[in-house]
Amino acid sequence: MSAKTHHNHGPVGRVEDARLTTGAGQFAADWNLPGQLHAYFLRSDRAHAEIVSINAGQALKHAGVRAVFTGADAVRAGYIKPMHTLTFPGKGGMQTRAPDRPVLAHGKVRFVGEALAMVVADTLAAAQDAAELIEVEYRDLPPAVQPEAALAPGAPQLHENVPGNLALEAEAGDAAAVAAAFATAAHVTRLKVEVTRVAPNPMEPRAYIATHDARTDGYLLHVCCQGITTLRRHLAAYTGVPEDKFQFEVRDVGGGFGQRTPAYPEHGALMLAAKQTGRPVKWVSTRSEGIACDTHGRANIIDGALALDRDGKFLAMRLDWVNDMGAYLSPASMGHIRNTSTCMTGVYRIPALYASYRVALTNTNPVSSYRGAGRPDIAYAVERLVSQAAAELKVDAAELRRRNFIPPDAFPYKTPTGSTYENADLPGMLEQALKLADWKGYPKRRARTETRGKLRGIGIAAVIENTGAGQAAKDEVEIALDAAGNVTVYTMSKSQGHGHETTFAMIVADALEVPLARVRVRQCTPEKQHRLQGNHTGGSRSTVGAGSVCHLAAHKLIEAGRALAALELAVEPSQVEYGKGLFRSRDSKRTLKLGDIARTKPVSVVAEGKFGSTFPNGCHIAEVEIDPDTGAAEIASYAAVDDLGTVINHAVVEGQLHGGVAMGAGQIFGEHVVYDRGTGQLLTGSFMDYFMPRAGLVPAIKGAEHPTPSRVSPLGVKGVGESGCTGSLPAVANAVMDALAPLGVGHLDMPLTPAKLWHAIHSARPRD
Amino acid sequence: MNMAKVTIKVNGKNHTKTVEDRTLLVDFLRDELKLTGTHVGCDTSQCGCCTVHVNGRAVKSCTMLAAQANGASVVTIEGMAKKDKLHPIQRAFSECHGLQCGFCTPGMIMATAGLLKDNPNPTDAEIYKGLEGNLCRCTGYINIVKAVKMSARLLRGGKR
Amino acid sequence: MYALNYVKAKSVKEAAGFLARNPEAKLLSGGMTLLPTLKARLARPTHLVDIGHLAELRKIAVKGGRLLVGAGARHHEVATSAVVKKAIPALAGLAGEIGDPQVRNRGTIGGSVANNDPAADYPAAVLGLAATVVTTKREIAADRFFQGLFTTALEDGEIIVRIEFPLPKRAAYSKFHHPASGYAMAGVFIAQTAGGVRVAVTGAGPGAFRWTAAEAALANGLKPAALEGVKLDSREFNNDMHADREYRANLVRVMAKRALAKLSGKK
Repeated sequence: MSAKTHHNHGPVGRVEDARLTTGAGQFAADWNLPGQLHAYFLRSDRAHAEIVSINAGQALKHAGVRAVFTGADAVRAGYIKPMHTLTFPGKGGMQTRAPDRPVLAHGKVRFVGEALAMVVADTLAAAQDAAELIEVEYRDLPPAVQPEAALAPGAPQLHENVPGNLALEAEAGDAAAVAAAFATAAHVTRLKVEVTRVAPNPMEPRAYIATHDARTDGYLLHVCCQGITTLRRHLAAYTGVPEDKFQFEVRDVGGGFGQRTPAYPEHGALMLAAKQTGRPVKWVSTRSEGIACDTHGRANIIDGALALDRDGKFLAMRLDWVNDMGAYLSPASMGHIRNTSTCMTGVYRIPALYASYRVALTNTNPVSSYRGAGRPDIAYAVERLVSQAAAELKVDAAELRRRNFIPPDAFPYKTPTGSTYENADLPGMLEQALKLADWKGYPKRRARTETRGKLRGIGIAAVIENTGAGQAAKDEVEIALDAAGNVTVYTMSKSQGHGHETTFAMIVADALEVPLARVRVRQCTPEKQHRLQGNHTGGSRSTVGAGSVCHLAAHKLIEAGRALAALELAVEPSQVEYGKGLFRSRDSKRTLKLGDIARTKPVSVVAEGKFGSTFPNGCHIAEVEIDPDTGAAEIASYAAVDDLGTVINHAVVEGQLHGGVAMGAGQIFGEHVVYDRGTGQLLTGSFMDYFMPRAGLVPAIKGAEHPTPSRVSPLGVKGVGESGCTGSLPAVANAVMDALAPLGVGHLDMPLTPAKLWHAIHSARPRD
Repeated sequence: MNMAKVTIKVNGKNHTKTVEDRTLLVDFLRDELKLTGTHVGCDTSQCGCCTVHVNGRAVKSCTMLAAQANGASVVTIEGMAKKDKLHPIQRAFSECHGLQCGFCTPGMIMATAGLLKDNPNPTDAEIYKGLEGNLCRCTGYINIVKAVKMSARLLRGGKR
Repeated sequence: MYALNYVKAKSVKEAAGFLARNPEAKLLSGGMTLLPTLKARLARPTHLVDIGHLAELRKIAVKGGRLLVGAGARHHEVATSAVVKKAIPALAGLAGEIGDPQVRNRGTIGGSVANNDPAADYPAAVLGLAATVVTTKREIAADRFFQGLFTTALEDGEIIVRIEFPLPKRAAYSKFHHPASGYAMAGVFIAQTAGGVRVAVTGAGPGAFRWTAAEAALANGLKPAALEGVKLDSREFNNDMHADREYRANLVRVMAKRALAKLSGKK
């Protein structure tokens, strides 16, 4: 099927924008229900302690307080075992050791910010006032904060059923083949890097309202989430409430980045409160709570080695990972480990690969998927190694990559860790990127920078990531047509800023050849929640999955319409043509409008699809300038060439790339969740201490598309949500390392803050 | 409980409500007047999602008591469009794709209005400085900066 | 925020009287530090006495060779005041570097000086310009006013009315922003005053302080080279995850040199 899409609409001011620019959006905290109560969570102020006692007597007496819940209530309700997705086999058949996590901590607290009690009151102020009256007696325990330390013998133990704080030990690839290749290597590059723990920080803080219906024993949850199907599955597993007892209301979602995917303890706690009080119970997180207890991202330490022959061809690579998962396993944590083996070979033909993983539990907030979910981590590890190898061998960084790319004719390419990459044109993309970035002109730019007393560096990264596939059995899309010719598209995919209402509408409008204004997209609407299946929006999958099915559904509608039109036109269906919103009899030239077939009753079709992984890829080149006096670094230029397959909405896709690049640059230059290693106290608990990218961090991006259409998706699309940060994390870091290399600075770990860069420069230079 | 009557002119219309003294202006707008376009994205006065104009100046409504705004004139995002006609800044944000999730957008638009009032033709660097009080997590700011520039052109009566 | 009583003062005098009668009341000016503090429940005043709207505190004028800035003058007003720009352009420039536009539209010089945040900008100017802090009770020289971390010479119930800045021959301020908060990681204010060169530092230590060794070194000419090797005692400097003492000490030197470069008209 050929997808006739894009270019038909020109630049599209998004459908969503009318409400979002006028304050008419409907975010989770904007909901208020009649009779609602307000919840406030009492959170642990220490990293690791036994809860000796909790006395809520005074709190219960406080004016306006309706109830106080503690871990005992959570255990009584059985809300104790979140599902986890680390279901792949471990080393030697090891199974994941998954700790319990009552929705309110019971017996022990295991990280700063963990909720151990919830006050429900008439007003938020009353709930908060009362929470201060709860008396908690703790018995402090030594914390295990840093993941390697947590895995060391004698470390404090978080959970009885997780000996050594080792939740899972796993491996991928062929250890023997790698050892053999290393033995023959002409050169081995070694580099241990940390991909730091960061806070996703979507701008909308979490907010939920739970309502219980005593007649049906069902729950209505007003939420911000990335899709209700995954959330529902997580919540049903966590609470034991069957999936068909859940109804959700979700409209505008203020960013997700993976953090809005999983079920959280607060969902369950609010359900308990709603059931007991018989009233809707609302909770709105503060930013500080969000930084402390919404899942973190990345948090991987990777000890890598790359073996090369004397021609600079890659022979083998070995990566030893320590994955810090925090105190508990989040239900959405699998991807950020699994994806690192899926894409382990990067864009290169590396004959032998081996990775080992030690998944550690620590006295910190749980870690889960965050934009890219392991893909930026593996890209960072590989691309840092490759650039380091190029520097060590004194080979041009682009040339070393060129020598080792998987050639275009090798696709589909089966990687040594078992993935099958679909098509890509890596050499072509590299050449386009080198041209766009004016790679050859770099020495001149550097010389100019140096005359101003600054350092300049250039960094390149060529990356690939798996997208598309989801955990749902299939993606379903329903299209309903009314007599006026208006089309409503229903999907379980959920934009958190991605612009589905525009992009999906474009796909359908293109297929039906009708104006965009005829098509309306509705996501996760309550009436369809138990009728349509589908994946949540995450993993750059929505256009590949739900978007492709929108296309299929539109064509299914045409086919259904053709049959109906044939009856009306009194001809065989094969004699009915469709185009531009009209059915036409080949012979008589009589026509019917699209809406005419729905005159007697609305026409509705459901299409489905299940797609494997697509592999968007790209080449990013960054240049940085560093002020040696202060260590302050700036991005001087950024060029990105990406193969995202077919692009539906260029503005939206470019926007995704911008955001991703800035997120990666933010992590390189400053974002970092820091816990005190001795006490486990959170040191970056607000935006006063947690660096966030601001306007100007990435001044501009020269972008270009280098598409090789996907064969997995009927639209040819590959996904884009995570490409930006997958490319920028290594590209920006490589640029900084390149700037410092002439001073003899070897390796630095992110975040490359002014202080860290100044120290590196200062200690490398002769003191003046 | 310490309650007081507060009268604030919001988007041209006077509203009188009796609220607790500790009520923040943003909560007055959101909870009392149901003007939920003004958002709260942090608790340390950093993110700017709550930006509104008080007596013509952009301020963070999460860092001001409703009582402090008693008698003042406040403009929120809901007051920017005139009937169905979008404000030029709103148009520019949409046309430049200067928003994705839209949560920071009301604050960004109000901050932009404040910036352009003081400086109708800002440079890139002046825009960066003018948006220092506003965080966005989706766009990487590149299209926001474009939108500010387009807004400036539109407000000066020029073309897009 | 804990429950409290809001009181809108009709005059400074009334506010002072109220504070005298209510020892747990707090003065509210712009509220840019106080309100976040209250929201985090880090303080529990019985009352907030608002003086932020009082016209009597908003005056900016030059009188008798001194620039008088009312305590209620907002940062934006100081940054854009034609009077300030003419009298002490470095002060206007400093005010324009505080926080962000929204903060500058609310925050006041009196509030900043009274709070004496170790990373605030105004204390560097007040100290560097040998200003006088005029209160409801007395006049306090800058050198006696700032007493370290969030501590000043202000007594309970004493209200800053205005700051009086003697006009310097020339002055400049250079600041390195904290990457997350935007406060000063280090800021250096250098002024050539009637009483000699003054160098005031903020952000680096537990409070604004004068770098006297630099003042001595610059006495014979405001040359960046004169700062080479000048002693800077950084033992008390802030040492945190964003910047250690050594880095902050470096920033002080670099910002001082940049301020000197501004003085000599070089960028």
